[in-house]
Amino acid sequence: MTNNNSTPVLEMIHVEKHFGGVHAIDDFSVKIEHGKIHGLIGPNGAGKTTIFNNITGIYAPDAGQILFNGTDITGTPPHRIAQIGIGRTFQNIRLFANMSVIDNVIIASNMDAKYNLPGALLHSGQYKEDEKKLREKAIDLLSVVGLQDKLDERANSLPYGHQRKLEIARAMALNPKLLLLDEPAAGMNAEESVELANFVRFIRERFDITILMIEHHMDVVTNLCDYCTVLNFGKTIAVGTPAEVKADPEVIRAYLGS
Amino acid sequence: MFFQQLITGISVGGIYALLATGYSLIYSLLDFSNWSHGEFAMIGAYTAIVFSTVVKAPFALAALAGVAGGALVSFLCERFAYRRIRRNGAPNMFLMIAAMGLSNVFQQASNLIFTGQYRSYPFQLPVSTVKVGSAYIGVLDVVSLLITAVVLMALIYMINKTQFGLNVRAIANNAGAAKVLGIKVDSNIAKVFLLAGSLAGVAGVLYGMKYNVFPTMGNVGLKAFIASVIGGLGSVPGAIVGAMLLGVLETFVSAYISSSLRDFFSFALLIVLLLVKPSGLFGVDVQDKA
Amino acid sequence: MIELFNNINASFCSLFGINSYLQGVIIMVCINVIAVLGMSVLTGFTRLFSFGNAGFMSIGAYATAILTVRYHVNFLLAILLGACFAGLIAFLLGSITLRLKGDYFLITCLGFGECVRVLFNYTKNLTGGSAGFPGIPNFSNMLFSVICAILAFFIAWRFIHSKYGRNLVSIRENEVAAEAVGINAFRAKRMSFVFSAIYAGWAGALYAGYLMYIVPASFNLAKSCELITTTVIGGLGSLTGSVIGAILVTVLPEVFRSMSNFRMLFYGLAVVLIIMFRPQGLYGYKEFSLKRLIGFFTGKNKKAKAEGKEGA
Repeated sequence: MTNNNSTPVLEMIHVEKHFGGVHAIDDFSVKIEHGKIHGLIGPNGAGKTTIFNNITGIYAPDAGQILFNGTDITGTPPHRIAQIGIGRTFQNIRLFANMSVIDNVIIASNMDAKYNLPGALLHSGQYKEDEKKLREKAIDLLSVVGLQDKLDERANSLPYGHQRKLEIARAMALNPKLLLLDEPAAGMNAEESVELANFVRFIRERFDITILMIEHHMDVVTNLCDYCTVLNFGKTIAVGTPAEVKADPEVIRAYLGS
Repeated sequence: MFFQQLITGISVGGIYALLATGYSLIYSLLDFSNWSHGEFAMIGAYTAIVFSTVVKAPFALAALAGVAGGALVSFLCERFAYRRIRRNGAPNMFLMIAAMGLSNVFQQASNLIFTGQYRSYPFQLPVSTVKVGSAYIGVLDVVSLLITAVVLMALIYMINKTQFGLNVRAIANNAGAAKVLGIKVDSNIAKVFLLAGSLAGVAGVLYGMKYNVFPTMGNVGLKAFIASVIGGLGSVPGAIVGAMLLGVLETFVSAYISSSLRDFFSFALLIVLLLVKPSGLFGVDVQDKA
Repeated sequence: MIELFNNINASFCSLFGINSYLQGVIIMVCINVIAVLGMSVLTGFTRLFSFGNAGFMSIGAYATAILTVRYHVNFLLAILLGACFAGLIAFLLGSITLRLKGDYFLITCLGFGECVRVLFNYTKNLTGGSAGFPGIPNFSNMLFSVICAILAFFIAWRFIHSKYGRNLVSIRENEVAAEAVGINAFRAKRMSFVFSAIYAGWAGALYAGYLMYIVPASFNLAKSCELITTTVIGGLGSLTGSVIGAILVTVLPEVFRSMSNFRMLFYGLAVVLIIMFRPQGLYGYKEFSLKRLIGFFTGKNKKAKAEGKEGA
């Protein structure tokens, strides 16, 4: 895998997606360098989640190209996208609600387990070794997000903030090179958002990953993002550092207008 | 011969259509196939039997009682079973399982109450045939077809032109938004179950007139279910078209190929159609959005 | 070989004083346990709904019957081939229908089951048609059935408690999220479908070897409904529950003979009530454990109690 700093981790080139006659995304391009946190901001219905869904293969774009570490991944199905190293969270949290906290994370590293079906039925050495490794890895990840005491609780019994963290831990179990966060601070108060911002920064340092995040809280974006792209009705209206973007007249108009 | 079969097929299709539209209406609102729907036809048919033999009511009255019986039981199922399951926030599959359970209950109950004996209405039914050109056409088929046509037209009018129909379409489109707009979701769902149940009642009485009344006659609901799937789940016009197609196909296969292979062809048609059009003829493809 | 087995079984039964009536009940329990375990994996763990499992049972039954009677294949091999043949058909059917959504998939399963039955009725030369297929060797004695049921449970348990089982459960819980963590939902569903068909075929094969005479009408839609009913009564998402459910549903009508007319009425009612009030069934999402049971009755085990409440 070429990961020299000249190849962007994610590059989207003139991506378009329409539903019926509506342009959900119109000519969207972005380049995200290794180790950066890139923000996607814009009013509701601006097409932010649609961009995530195009990257992760839930939709195939109608036009344009998506490159991941220089490889074309346009139209690759979601499970393949996850396997090659793009993890994501969801705007409305999607955990495996009736499963334990630790199983939620273990599932995401299932593909690390190399044992086969007979191995699973006979509890071969490989099975035992793999299962032990998965468990240890999951405990490690859960320790990072501070859920190591709640391993056997049911995922939907966790408080909201912990569910967000569990979802991030689950995404991290894929060993992703790129993490997509869909409104991680949604529903959080100012204090919790600051904590979340610190947490996201910590994750980036700890795992040396690149992050693309959708966020509404302007303070979180300012605090966290290296660059951001502002969308309105599927169109890109500004790109730059948070400070530059905030000063952009068109952004001000879009936000005040909505 | 051909013409004769065609009329029979359309008249069978009409009975399917009365049930299939019920499946579609309920599916469009609740996203689940009401597996017990066929039993409402059976209940309607038996209600009419009871009214005509025990109460000795005239046929028209007994038939109306049958329609009311189907409607009432359908309404009760929604009010006391499905509503609670919906409130639990259970997956739609659970509604379907409950409907399967209810279907068992009704079928067994009628078996215990009325025994498995075949019954027919104690009235002189117009079983004669009229000669049209070279074909002999059953008067009963024509009568049944006319009744079906009138009922279905009333249904389509109701859905497209009345406030109730507008509300139902709004709920089908987006229940949350409809609620915000002040539409009473639960009471409209209850009304749809009443409506679907009464359509099933009509189907049950017509079916009982054409064939017989027996505890497992509700299995005709399965055919209607197939018809509504062919037409596309949740689409009322689709259900009607699907029902007619299925009725005609079945009649022709029975007549020209083999009556023991009839069901094989129906299901084969269904599977092949779904492979070409995964959401049926008129169905909408709904994606689970992330 | 069958004779040897039957002799061992006979001496075993006489040793413990198990009469032939009781043997018959135990054999039926074992057959149902296997079929219901397959259904449980499909419906309870993957949340796929199949009205076609009776069809897979009949494929297993007829394949085994034809192999043993016409081709004199050893019954163990015949059962294995019968079950695998059901699995193969499921693989092919699933490959084309599992991409269909919800109820559309369900109706194709139902249609498949009915088509199989109609075809077995129609292909008189091969299957004897609606008159039935006679003369199947009596290989499903009690001991053999019990061994099969235990083996089936063991395999299902290990399957569910491996990465394969986790894949299925994640699809049940949230398919979009499962895809987002790298699980190929289509392939996992197909695996679950094939697994359940193999179990159905296995149960069907034993059924053929028990009754020695099979007719297509035994494998109708009502049989598929009964399998689902039993799975729901036992508890969706619990293998131990499925076993208990299968035992209950098979044994109760034997105990209350006079009530056997009400059998399906009660089961139907039980299903509706369970879905309404306790959708996880008897042991839903929880496996049976003696410790929890004791804790539940003594009230001493607080954690167990809390879990019990969660499940309620």
